[in-house]
Amino acid sequence: MLLGTLIYGFINSCILALLALGFNLTFGISGVANFAYGAIYIFSGFLTWIILNSIGLPYLLSVVISILCAAIIGLLVYYIVILRVKGLALSEVIATFGLGLAIMELFRYFDFVGFKYTLPVFFDGSVGFGEVYVDYQRLFIALIAVGLTLFLYLFTRHSKTGLAFRAIAQDERTALTFGIDSDRIGALSMAFGAALAAIAAIVILPLGTIAVEGGYEVLINALAVCIVGGLGSTVGILVASVLIGYAQTFTANYLGPHWMMLVSLIAIAVVLTIKPSGLFSRQKELEERI
Amino acid sequence: MKRKHYEKSFFRVGVILMAFVFAGFFLSSCAKPEKEAELAKKVEELTKKVDELSKKNAELMEQIAALKKKVGEPIILGVPTSLGFLEGKEGLACVNMAVEEINAGGGVDVAGVKRPFKVVAIDSRGAEPGVPVADVIRAHKKLILEDKANFIVFGSFRSECAIACMDTVSQYKIPMILGTAMSPAMEKKVKTEYDKYKYTFRVCLNAVYLIKYLGGTMAHLNKQFGFNKVFIMNQDVAWARKTGDLMIKLVFDKMGWEVVGRQAYPTGASDFSSGLMKAKAQKAQVILPIFDMPQSGILVKQWKSMKVPALVAGFISPLAGPAAWNSFDQKIDGALNCIFEIGNVPCPKVPKSVEFYNKYQEKYGKPIEAGHSPAPAYEMVYILKEAIERAGSIDADKVVAELEKTDRMGAMGRIRFNDGHQVIYGEDPNEMAMGCMIQWLAPGERVIVYPESVAEGKIQLPEGLKSAK
Repeated sequence: MLLGTLIYGFINSCILALLALGFNLTFGISGVANFAYGAIYIFSGFLTWIILNSIGLPYLLSVVISILCAAIIGLLVYYIVILRVKGLALSEVIATFGLGLAIMELFRYFDFVGFKYTLPVFFDGSVGFGEVYVDYQRLFIALIAVGLTLFLYLFTRHSKTGLAFRAIAQDERTALTFGIDSDRIGALSMAFGAALAAIAAIVILPLGTIAVEGGYEVLINALAVCIVGGLGSTVGILVASVLIGYAQTFTANYLGPHWMMLVSLIAIAVVLTIKPSGLFSRQKELEERI
Repeated sequence: MKRKHYEKSFFRVGVILMAFVFAGFFLSSCAKPEKEAELAKKVEELTKKVDELSKKNAELMEQIAALKKKVGEPIILGVPTSLGFLEGKEGLACVNMAVEEINAGGGVDVAGVKRPFKVVAIDSRGAEPGVPVADVIRAHKKLILEDKANFIVFGSFRSECAIACMDTVSQYKIPMILGTAMSPAMEKKVKTEYDKYKYTFRVCLNAVYLIKYLGGTMAHLNKQFGFNKVFIMNQDVAWARKTGDLMIKLVFDKMGWEVVGRQAYPTGASDFSSGLMKAKAQKAQVILPIFDMPQSGILVKQWKSMKVPALVAGFISPLAGPAAWNSFDQKIDGALNCIFEIGNVPCPKVPKSVEFYNKYQEKYGKPIEAGHSPAPAYEMVYILKEAIERAGSIDADKVVAELEKTDRMGAMGRIRFNDGHQVIYGEDPNEMAMGCMIQWLAPGERVIVYPESVAEGKIQLPEGLKSAK
């Protein structure tokens, strides 16, 4: 039982990290609020399903098209919605959250309801660790999560665009003096974040069904990981995912699954009270001190 | 000279013209009486014709009025359900199907006046996480007060909402027939305060009858394979909690089974590994799942991938319909699932269930996927039609009295209500309505395995599971 809890806790942590990566890139690193993140996640799942089942294109092609479409949606959201309220943090949150609600409810309106909306797994079968069996798809999720976290870490520290992402969050005016086009970078960050949400959806959703309500859960979990880890910190994301992931799994196994969702919410409340900048956000900590 | 000659000629012409004019006047004055007579005759004829036509018009108007009286105002059926859930969506489709059939046949005969049914549906969203009871009550009130619903059919998805709405329909005296909510608390209320709650009826299976089917299946598993250790996994909602409690109290404790563990999951949960690991660790031989949320199908996928050596036998709503085989990657082989009402699955030994199932598929171009609600939704419209016709009125009290006398052979078997206004379910389709247990077998077939009266085959253990005998 303990071995099972440890293995499934690790996988849960990887799922949380994967869910939070895109949100962290946009909101955490670039400071652009994208509260339609959960909706983009669900949109990507449904779009892949439609391309695969209704249009009949191959799975891999459907995946690529969905990721590209999610990125385009990210760009459009930036230029159509965010650009008009840029700088007003609360307005950005409200506008994107409202847009997210509209996207999700549209799927419900057009009858995307029921268990038939499932995506095929990339790898079928399972492997045993002692007496605990884990399916290949979960191991694949863990692999993708670790790989993407590493990529994001290197990208935001060693690439010109990645550094520009961080620059506009730290000080937009100073970034402008260095020739960084904050609008272009903001839009790119939205597109990257949306594409990461699509990747997360495509590898996580084959474990279950695509349900509209899932979008809300994704947003809460992503928010919890980013707040606990510290906005903008990739290492923070990793640590927070492990903390919350294991806390959720231990809670589900030893207290009961209904308490699982409370873990994320309690984590948000505790961190905001004790250390509002999160565990690893140096930049935000400095800003708060000033 | 010439001028005189012209004057004379003008004078003559003038005289002649005058003569013509006078002659004309004279002749016209002589002809007048004749023309007047003709005209008068014509007027008389036309007046007669007008009289005849107005008489005919009056007759036709009377006939139209009589016809209008015969095809009366529509009877409004309010349908407040969770359209975001498969059971709600297909339930409404079945209500519409029955209404179309009845209206095509002329409508409902209310004391000689043919009145059509009219459906007003509202997505009350009562099945969603958190169970928004207040919203569902508001949906009922809107249907009753704004849409002027005469009856509520297929109302209130969850029991929490249905029980709360019993007070609402009682306040406005609107008969309500339930098609999804399963808690036996509804019958208890009807029995204890009959005058207040007599307006509520239920056509679908309730938790008590579900326990009988599940208990019968467990007894069968014990007899056939010697299984006696069970792990219960249920959704954290009223009907599923109650079913779990009653299974322990009325079935497992009495049959000497060991309940090695129990785990409740909130609506919307999508990871069942914790419960499955516990079931495996506790060496459960049977896993009893009780779920009605779309995500619950994941449980079976995880059961297969985690290689838990226990038979899944219970109710998982996504596992009921024919699409489940492909939706769950053909990994549900061996799982036993309860179909709450036959008709939702065609049962060859009950021809009306096959007829209903095929009719649905023909109309909507796809088969029924829900294991709970579609057949009762269809039947309840006919039950209501028959009760109104017997009562000769849509007066609530009169219709309630007639609903209590229902005795009809339908898609679910024989339909009669008990004193708690619940349709009686049993094991003989000629005497009672019926549910059944199906087993998924390769290549994607649903085989009815229980009760024996309608069984098409015996329970088979999936690969990797061994009999304890």
